[in-house]
Amino acid sequence: MSYAEAVGRLRAGTWLRLKAVDRTLPVWIGAALFLIFLMILPLGWIFVTSVKGEQGFTFDGYLQVFKEGALLKAIWQTLIISTWVGVIAVVIGALLGWLVTRSDLPFKRTVRALVMASFVTPPFLGAFAWTLLAGPNAGELNKLYRWLTGAEGHLFNIFSREGLIIVMALYSFPYVFSMIANVCELMSSDLEDAANILGARKWRVALTVTLPLAAPALIGGFILAFLHSLSLFGAPAILGLPAGLHTITTQIWALFQYPPRLDLAAALSVPLLLATMALLAVQKKLLGRRGYSTVGGKGGQKRLVRLGALRIPLFLLVVGILALSVFLPYWILLKASLAKAWAMPLTWDNFTLHNFTFTFFEYGDTQNAIINTFQLGILTATVGTGIAALIAYITNRRLFRGARYLTFFALAPLVVPGVVLAVGLFIAYTRPPIVLYGTIWILFVAYLTKEMPIGFSQAETTFKSIHPELEDASRILGANRLRVLKDITAPLARSGLIATWCFIFIGVIRELSASILLFTPKSKVISVVIFDLKEEGQVGVIAVLGILLLVVSFAVVLSVQWMLAREVVATRE
Amino acid sequence: MATVSLRGLTKRFAESAAVDDLNLEIADGELVSLLGPSGCGKTTTLRLVAGFLQPDAGEIRVNGEVISSPSLLIPPERRHMSMIFQSYAVWPHMTVFQNVAYGLKLKKRLGGEIEKKVDRILRLVHLETLAGRYPAELSGGQQQRVALARALVVEPQILLLDEPLSNLDANLREEMRFEIRRLHEEFRITTIYVTHDQAEAMVTSDRIAVMHQGKIVQVGTSDEIFDRPRTRFVAEFIGKTNILKGKLEENRQVDLGAGLSLQVSSAENPSKGAEAFVCIRPHNISLLGTELETREPRQKGYNVFSGNIQRRIYFGDAIDYIVELPAGQLKLRVVAPPSQRYEPGQKVFAVAHPDHCVLVGEE
Repeated sequence: MSYAEAVGRLRAGTWLRLKAVDRTLPVWIGAALFLIFLMILPLGWIFVTSVKGEQGFTFDGYLQVFKEGALLKAIWQTLIISTWVGVIAVVIGALLGWLVTRSDLPFKRTVRALVMASFVTPPFLGAFAWTLLAGPNAGELNKLYRWLTGAEGHLFNIFSREGLIIVMALYSFPYVFSMIANVCELMSSDLEDAANILGARKWRVALTVTLPLAAPALIGGFILAFLHSLSLFGAPAILGLPAGLHTITTQIWALFQYPPRLDLAAALSVPLLLATMALLAVQKKLLGRRGYSTVGGKGGQKRLVRLGALRIPLFLLVVGILALSVFLPYWILLKASLAKAWAMPLTWDNFTLHNFTFTFFEYGDTQNAIINTFQLGILTATVGTGIAALIAYITNRRLFRGARYLTFFALAPLVVPGVVLAVGLFIAYTRPPIVLYGTIWILFVAYLTKEMPIGFSQAETTFKSIHPELEDASRILGANRLRVLKDITAPLARSGLIATWCFIFIGVIRELSASILLFTPKSKVISVVIFDLKEEGQVGVIAVLGILLLVVSFAVVLSVQWMLAREVVATRE
Repeated sequence: MATVSLRGLTKRFAESAAVDDLNLEIADGELVSLLGPSGCGKTTTLRLVAGFLQPDAGEIRVNGEVISSPSLLIPPERRHMSMIFQSYAVWPHMTVFQNVAYGLKLKKRLGGEIEKKVDRILRLVHLETLAGRYPAELSGGQQQRVALARALVVEPQILLLDEPLSNLDANLREEMRFEIRRLHEEFRITTIYVTHDQAEAMVTSDRIAVMHQGKIVQVGTSDEIFDRPRTRFVAEFIGKTNILKGKLEENRQVDLGAGLSLQVSSAENPSKGAEAFVCIRPHNISLLGTELETREPRQKGYNVFSGNIQRRIYFGDAIDYIVELPAGQLKLRVVAPPSQRYEPGQKVFAVAHPDHCVLVGEE
């Protein structure tokens, strides 16, 4: 068929002319509408509920939040706790980030891997482990203290504001760490050399040059850690509630207990939402400005700072920090999972595998929770990767007018703490047209919404690395859009999308703060069961479930790293 | 057989026209390059022809049939064209063979035929030994040739090239220019070649269309464009030039002011008293050292100006002089053979034939 013939046939009939329209358009439009629906429904309901009284519009909900002492106190506590968490996380994260990238600290790769381990550890699990380590009576460390000194009482009570702050900081500092490590890796030694030549000494250089250059990252890291602790539910519930401490998230949860006060929960959610939005806007402005061109530039060569006499003391400090976030919690979980009585020393008499067999094979609640969790994990990761990939493809290739505004919707859950999201989903899906409450599907929707930002940004990075001309080259040779996706885009995006899948999966299986409001007896997940069993004192079972979560998470993280590394090697060969 | 015609083609991005009422006719088997600075709309024009963009006004016809207009857009995959991209766009997950065979597979050719055609084209671009390699294992020039082979093997009606050599180093670029011309002479596919490099356009093209701000300002063969630039922009974009400003008088005379006057080659629409710009290429001016030597050129009707050498730069194969004409604060750039040595400050006579003094338009 010649060209003229082809054109002639095309002009012959209108239906043929319709073929000129992009047949894949419905797919793109559908994905976009689904995303917008997913995001607007819960958030819309929160605002509506917060201002809806018996007779129409009212601010009563908000007024009551400020009249009721307990709620105001929770807001105040949250601010204090999150500020301290932010400060401590910045100190630890910046120190470790700098040491690992710019100094001659020993075992740097191992330190990095262990920081990643703190990152992967669900904070509620860390908090639980710490109740075993530093509970005032039975806590291992307090017992050790009494045994060593012969003193009565305890060294440290984890059920306190200080205890809560420290534990939350231990699982928030990796955020700061990764930001600082990134900045330090981009920063050229030349800048520091310039100060050296002018006569400044090592420590003075660090204080007057390195630190100011890293300032935007430090403030950004503080905001991130602050926001992270603001949204946490598990740690404050486990460590704060026994001490009578309420944060906003635990207060919202309490408002959901019988008799539920949805209007108050919604009204309390809105300030949390607005605060998160405002802080993220500040952070974006700080980091987006890149006032420090050097940090973003190519960077010359990097030399490691010699720590000299401080090398060993600093290394011990790092080991100490990692002991608090990783070694001690993991050790106590392992011990609790293998002991008949967790508070006793782990001798042959005390050793048992019963916790494992009980959790996996005998106890119906945990079996169901395990199945639910991994089902939800696989389902959410699969659907989530699909939608995230479609949306990222649309925004990246600007497939239709206004496509870039989808980015806003895909990233919107970033500003929504899990508990707040759950409030919105609860209100939205307990009424027609879509009633999901009471089924596992409401958890699916919650996870899908909550993980969308991670999935989207990961997929976006993937598509950004695929030059659009690679696709154009396929089209001009005769492939339509779907064929291009199959032949060119999908194979090239494969490893990036598998990574996206894994990130969503890990996020789902450790989710607590939204699940805790949305579960029903039939749809419990591991994190919820851990939270419940804590009330019953089922330490062994909790430890087994915690280890299961950790092992699966690490396996997934490691396989992603292995796969991506192999990919890099393959293209280099 | 394919002729291409662009009529009144317009494409706007956010209210500014990237391509503005562009007209161009390309004959069957012709290689036309779109030459212009970055941002002049040449790549947009090419993407309009390929069907990746839809025009806001005007139309594109192939063999007289409309393929693009504001109301009709035949998608790229059904245009029977091939395109070579600035980034080569060689697929990294396919071998050289798979890359080249891809277009034939889409056209549902039989396996044996595919193999034969791919082998033949790979030999033609000297890649026959690398068929099993992945693109990451190839040099830039080899990837470029994969892109060429992939585009040619499907025997397209029209070939589009978007700055195909801009990512290669200087030596390779020169070699590939001739390679592209050789392949064009072999296949005679109607080709549009986008480039910002005048030498590239001159080596490869049958005709050059110079673009500026979304419009074609001049179309012609290399020598037409170089020797007879129609506007000041074309003269300055292609090659070095002197531009002298003056007033048009009678008998193809241009009054440069301060008592200087210049005879020019021709004036297409001589309107007396109008402002005029004259383009004189530096290598079309000769320098003479004495008044006596100027007698003969004066008799033959050459333009002769006296001036002083202001600056001299030695380039080895040529010497670049700046001559200051005392009467009119004018400066002339002259490229002279290295044997002609004058000292800075020395009085010289600059001589140029009227044929080499070309009237150009302001825009």
